[in-house]
Amino acid sequence: MTNIDIIVFAPLLAAIIAGLGNRMLGNTVAKAITTGALFLSCALSWPIFFGFLSGSTSTSVVPVLDLIHSGDLNVSWSLRVDALTAVMLVVVTSVSALVHLYSWGYMAEDDSQPRFFAYLSLFTFAMLMLVTADSLVQMFFGWEGVGLASYLLIGFWYHKPSANAAAIKAFVVNRVGDFGFSLGIFGTFLVFGTVSIPVILAAAPGMAGSTIGFLGGRFDTMTVLCLLLFVGAMGKSAQLGLHTWLPDAMEGPTPVSALIHAATMVTAGVFMVCRLSPMFQTSPFAMHTVTYVGAATALFAATVGTTQTDIKRVIAYSTCSQLGYMFFAAGVGAYGAAMFHLFTHAFFKALLFLGAGSVIHSMHHEQDMRHYGALRKHIPITFWTMTAGTLAITGVGIAGVFGFAGFYSKDAIIEATFASGTTSGGIAFAIAVFAALLTSFYSWRLLFLTFFGKARWAGSEHIQHAVHAHHDHPEHEHPDEEGAGSDPHAAHGPVVTGTAGYHPHESPWSMLVPLILLTLGAMFAGFLFHGPFIGAEEGAGFWKGSVYFDEHLMHAMHGVPLWVKYSATAVMLTGFAIAWWAYIKDTSIPGRFTATFRGLYAFLLNKWYFDELYDLLFVRPVFAIGRFFWKAGDVGTIDRFGPDGVAAMVVGSGAAARRLQSGYLYTYALVMLLGLSAVATWAMLR
Amino acid sequence: MSMIASLALTLPELILSTGALLLLLVAAWGGDGSSRLISWASVALLAIAGLSLGCANGVAFDGLYKADAFSNFAKALVYAAAAVSILIAPRFFEARGAMRAEYPILILLSSVGMGMMVSATDLLTLYVGLELQSLAAYVLASFMRRDSRSAEAGLKYFVLGALASGILLYGISLLYGFTGTTQFGGVATALGDGISHGELFGLVFVMAGLAFKISAVPFHMWTPDVYEGAPTPVTAFFASAPKVAAMALLVRIAVDAMGPATSSWQQIVIFAALASTILGGVAAIGQVNIKRLLAYSSINNVGFALFGLAAGTPDGVAATMSYMAVYIVMTLGSFLCVLQMRNAAGDAVEDIASLSGLSRTRPGLAAAFAIFMFSLAGIPPLFGFWPKFLVFDALVAIGLWPLAMIGIATSVIGAFYYLKIVKTMYFDEPAPAYAPSASRMENGLIALSAVAVSPLGYLAIPLLGALSMAAARALF
Amino acid sequence: MREKPLVDLSQYLPILLFLGVALAISGAFVVLPMIVNRLTGTAKPNPDKLAEYECGFPAFEDSRAQFDVRFYLVAILFIVFDLEAAFLYPWAVSLGGIGLTGWASMMLFLVELGIGFAYAWKKGALDWE
Repeated sequence: MTNIDIIVFAPLLAAIIAGLGNRMLGNTVAKAITTGALFLSCALSWPIFFGFLSGSTSTSVVPVLDLIHSGDLNVSWSLRVDALTAVMLVVVTSVSALVHLYSWGYMAEDDSQPRFFAYLSLFTFAMLMLVTADSLVQMFFGWEGVGLASYLLIGFWYHKPSANAAAIKAFVVNRVGDFGFSLGIFGTFLVFGTVSIPVILAAAPGMAGSTIGFLGGRFDTMTVLCLLLFVGAMGKSAQLGLHTWLPDAMEGPTPVSALIHAATMVTAGVFMVCRLSPMFQTSPFAMHTVTYVGAATALFAATVGTTQTDIKRVIAYSTCSQLGYMFFAAGVGAYGAAMFHLFTHAFFKALLFLGAGSVIHSMHHEQDMRHYGALRKHIPITFWTMTAGTLAITGVGIAGVFGFAGFYSKDAIIEATFASGTTSGGIAFAIAVFAALLTSFYSWRLLFLTFFGKARWAGSEHIQHAVHAHHDHPEHEHPDEEGAGSDPHAAHGPVVTGTAGYHPHESPWSMLVPLILLTLGAMFAGFLFHGPFIGAEEGAGFWKGSVYFDEHLMHAMHGVPLWVKYSATAVMLTGFAIAWWAYIKDTSIPGRFTATFRGLYAFLLNKWYFDELYDLLFVRPVFAIGRFFWKAGDVGTIDRFGPDGVAAMVVGSGAAARRLQSGYLYTYALVMLLGLSAVATWAMLR
Repeated sequence: MSMIASLALTLPELILSTGALLLLLVAAWGGDGSSRLISWASVALLAIAGLSLGCANGVAFDGLYKADAFSNFAKALVYAAAAVSILIAPRFFEARGAMRAEYPILILLSSVGMGMMVSATDLLTLYVGLELQSLAAYVLASFMRRDSRSAEAGLKYFVLGALASGILLYGISLLYGFTGTTQFGGVATALGDGISHGELFGLVFVMAGLAFKISAVPFHMWTPDVYEGAPTPVTAFFASAPKVAAMALLVRIAVDAMGPATSSWQQIVIFAALASTILGGVAAIGQVNIKRLLAYSSINNVGFALFGLAAGTPDGVAATMSYMAVYIVMTLGSFLCVLQMRNAAGDAVEDIASLSGLSRTRPGLAAAFAIFMFSLAGIPPLFGFWPKFLVFDALVAIGLWPLAMIGIATSVIGAFYYLKIVKTMYFDEPAPAYAPSASRMENGLIALSAVAVSPLGYLAIPLLGALSMAAARALF
Repeated sequence: MREKPLVDLSQYLPILLFLGVALAISGAFVVLPMIVNRLTGTAKPNPDKLAEYECGFPAFEDSRAQFDVRFYLVAILFIVFDLEAAFLYPWAVSLGGIGLTGWASMMLFLVELGIGFAYAWKKGALDWE
């Protein structure tokens, strides 16, 4: 039993105990077991990470089971621990442990807490399976496992139709990605004859330039495989085209959003691209595709994020946008930078989500920022931690002295795109800078709308409800009201100000402690670890080949012109200034702006009409086809001539037989004699 | 063979007939008050006769009568069914003031006739046994002579039975005329060198006459009306003992006398089997009277038993005999349950709707009824599955698998109405509760039958399988 | 299949002859009295004379009329013992040939009938009232 076994299987064991024990165990026991298991995993993960940092630990593979032996297909289940895995281990176990702890407070009033914690632990196990995968099949197992856990957790409040719809949407959209991923795995097995990742990566450069028949044409082998695998990554990481499920996934409880839809699961796609980076390196076309898709997502999500009014959706689009950053970083070959941004992003995005959860908690499940305001004084700890998170995501820092986490990782990505020198890199650079401006704007907008200005609580139904219910029921309302956001089309309508007599309360310490710990991560993760992750010399020593490390690019990255280095900071300040102007100085600006650019505003508010487009292109035709097969095929043909027809025939002949049974002797005698003659005749003629 | 040896072989019939005659005198002088005594005495006689079966083996009266493993197996079933029919009667008839001492005696006389039927190796013995059984049955059907339905049942049974007897007798005369003998062995020898048209006609007519007795389609028309009209204990008797006897007789005559002409009768049997299973299944749907439904059920089950005979092999015959053994337990159990259907005033109710929600008012009875229904439907964990499996296995073994498939499909139709009763008992809103059961003996019999057809019945497979196989081997 | 003749008609010639003779005689029995009647001059029909005689019942009435079942009871009992007598004749003739077994068999048959008779008597089946 090695440490890695404990890290991976402790959450599974806890999930099984809490899940099967459920109500028999009681809330506290189930919560203690799962949270304890996660803190144990977390405590064991950090030494591994530090071991890789100091260079004292080397790559190891711990076998668990032989899964499949069939012909050429040999799949063994083993836990691979290298630098890349170590990074993911600390991210997953730390955020998961803190989210578990946070949920003690956040889910305190829920009826089925053991189920919730069991799902959380199950998710963590699946995610750990994914990041420790030594073969593509095992990675797919973890991949589907996190998908399942995500489905279960988004639909955790299963009595809410919107949560069910969101869960199904997430699952279905991920099917598209997973289909590509599985095709990629099949193709890889076809080409390389194995699913073992190290073997494939070692053989990948030799395959460059070969072609493969696919969809009736001949294409470059590695391009086809990488693009198929990347489709899987797009689905899981909510990249443009397959992103529609992520904002809807906010229907889940906020800790779930923080853990799954910000810090860990959605980064699985980035992890996969980095893990298979030697493969992607062999196909320039695939790399360009990754870059363009990432850049497009970063731009798209950032623009949409500026108009959303639901606090969780703003952060969700922010996540989507940051994932785009990671992808185009990988696309230009800066895998270290991508992983570094993944690492820092996990901390500050989890922090923002949990902070948002704290705000929602204190505002009685109101999620619309238009009904916030002036919360700074009421929930100070939440305010300061979220400010730290905002500083981290917008990338505040002074070069060479100190900066928040995002300052190091995002700037590294921006510089890497410029340094790559390719066309796609150049485009990505331009988009990255513009998206950074938008990031700064919507992040500060969120902070200003929430914590500054006048209190606008009176307009919220949740608050009204709470105030009135307060006199009768001192108890809190069940959190299933969460997510019942108001109509976004009413954005910037008449604003009702006033507190309505409501007194927001700071969250319990079980929620504040994770916030504070994550704040430390958001503040120092970049400063402390930028050397090993993206340092030109240090990096190679840290990664030790677990990702493709382009030392040349890293050097070039550190040597970009000064204006490039400062561009990120400049746009960050600009974004801050616009936000301050529009939401503190003169709050009438947003209204006037949207009135002027009505079309643009509607376009962004409706998320570029992606949902509507998909509804038209896929959902409706599929429903139509489904209805056709149901009505005409199943009911009209199979049922009609099959079960229903046979049943009707049986019933009909039963009625006929009963009519024959008239009760008259002569009928009976006649039947007997007819039968006799028939039998005799037949026996005769035969 | 000496007279004494012949008489020794017919000991069961001697015991029953002598006993019946003596009890008749007791009944004449003791009046209806002696009915309880006579009932128990009759059951005792049946038990003694059953014991006397022993290992009787041989041919008596110069080839008119034969005691072998086959006849002993059939007689054991017949006597058991007859005994149960006697046991369940007194309470039923007493509640209607119609208990008469003649009831057990008629059953005894009928049993003598059935014993003759299954032991017959001569067309005349066959006919005498059949008529003795039938005449007693006609009287039994109209036993409650002041009840118009019972009288109607008796009359219908008599008229149609007479017609069937005529057909049978005509067939016998044809066979005698064209083969020159009434002995089964002689007939078989005559048929061995080819079958003439006259012999074929004789064969068809004899088969038709016997098909009436087992109520195989198209000679089944009397069954629903007679079963519905006759008093319930009598119906239980009709559905069990005579079925076994007539089926055994049909098997023996088909194999012993018409063995060489197997290809000629096989198709008739297949037709009757298919028609019986289909009609028994289809017509039962929509019945509202439980006794009528069980009548169709018996038609249906006889069809399945005939599949075994249709195979024409020792395995098939053994399957048929096993089927009849399990069938009488299931059907007697079902009729025992029907006997419990009495409303608060004590009157018998027979409509299926009154079973609604029985699981809540009488859970034990509902469970037993459900077991019988599932077993009749041949649903695997219950014992009713085993004989069904055997007959289809026998069919498949000789390559008649299309027939087996059709048979299995028809058993699905049958399952519908059996399960509908279970659904009525378990899922419908409760109807007014039945009067509580007063008879420990009936409850005990129900429990015994239910256990026998429950999965525990599989423990009896080695014994039952060996006995039915020995019975079948005795014919080939 | 070996073909046997379905029916060998030549065997039935005596029956055909018998039928012919029977037809001729019965025809004669119907026609002869009528001829004698005419010749003797006693042909004076009246309704009572023309009414057919049928077991003491009126010839034309509703077929669903009440009818005393005791007639049938007596008739059935009569048939049983009538048949017994019919069995007794051939038995008596061949008693010498069938020996003790034949004698014992008939005695048993008679005992059985006797028991039946005793039962019927005791049950009151023989009492008219």
